[in-house]
Amino acid sequence: MSDDLDPLRRARPDRLQPDDPIDPAVLSDERERFMSTIDQTGTAPGTDRRTPSIYPRLAYRDEAAALEYLTRVFGFREWRESRMEMPTGMLAWLEVGDGVVMIGRAGAEHHDLSSPADAGATTCMVNVYVDDVDAHYARAAAEGARIVMPLEDMFWGDRRYEALDLEGHRWHFGERLSHVRERLDES
Amino acid sequence: MERSDAEPSDAAVIAASFDDPAAFATIFDRHAAVLLRFLVRRVGPDAADGLVGESFRIAFERRSGYDCSRPSARPWLYGIATNVLAKHRRAEARRFAALARLPRRPGGDPPPAAVDDQVIAQVDARELWPRVAATIAALPPGERDALLLYAWEDLGYEDIAAALRIPVGTVRSRLNRARRRLRDVREPEDGGGEQRSTHSEDRGRIGP
Repeated sequence: MSDDLDPLRRARPDRLQPDDPIDPAVLSDERERFMSTIDQTGTAPGTDRRTPSIYPRLAYRDEAAALEYLTRVFGFREWRESRMEMPTGMLAWLEVGDGVVMIGRAGAEHHDLSSPADAGATTCMVNVYVDDVDAHYARAAAEGARIVMPLEDMFWGDRRYEALDLEGHRWHFGERLSHVRERLDES
Repeated sequence: MERSDAEPSDAAVIAASFDDPAAFATIFDRHAAVLLRFLVRRVGPDAADGLVGESFRIAFERRSGYDCSRPSARPWLYGIATNVLAKHRRAEARRFAALARLPRRPGGDPPPAAVDDQVIAQVDARELWPRVAATIAALPPGERDALLLYAWEDLGYEDIAAALRIPVGTVRSRLNRARRRLRDVREPEDGGGEQRSTHSEDRGRIGP
């Protein structure tokens, strides 16, 4: 094919700068994330979405960045088909285990909810039990989470750590010590 | 394509994925790299981060709507990725602005081992590129989508129509309009009346 668009074809960015390859790790990471989405979706996407009796809504200045952060750093799974995108902001539902958090934009017009980044203070902490808190901690730390309490065994029977997300919401991730022992015995 | 006949078509894989969602991984493996490169061309590597995954998640969720009479899913995936890009118009504008400023490698390139046609073509493209980039950036999104699927992704009219879910006649008219705008950019130079870019500094007369 040769015509008046040839200059445009030749000017394709990767032809102008052929020394700018894509990191293959990008695709394998994407594949892994994609497969984990598939695995949790089951055979009938969009069905079997039970909302728990209580689930919090957290507000962010930049809810899209928060969605990216929470899925990447803390491994939450978005109910992608539930996402609502509007000019005034996005709403997303994130699942972890049998729990759900909803995230949206901060502001007076959004239920008057504030981001800690605007309020200057954190006003709640979300507690999350995970299957393997050691792995969860390792991932979050590797992805750059702000760890504010290190991973420790606590007297009440949990192994836990705490982290702040990108706008300062506080997250407490824990696992029962009995579960930790079972897990370690198995391996 | 280069797949052997023994391998099932995309349509067959997608049909199988209704019962076995994990089968959809094959669609990812076949097309993810192409889609990633497409997304990077359009918005740059930073903004493209995560978009290929988003495109495939959307494709997976919409797989029941796939037209199984089409053996290759690629146009369909290009269409989904194009929709994903629509949310990143600002990133795309920044990308084209950055590309327009693409330096002619300060101090000059290391001299090419062999001066062949391709090298000449690249130099030629660099000369022209700032104005072309600005024109593309200023195109209506629908024209830009069609034009770049055609010129950069090598999709035919039929495939572009399938990707963008528009009639073939609309593809043709969008491409014609985009071509006219691009021709207007080049004409003064080709006519010889205008000096060929005298400076590395590209003056303001870019864009329509």
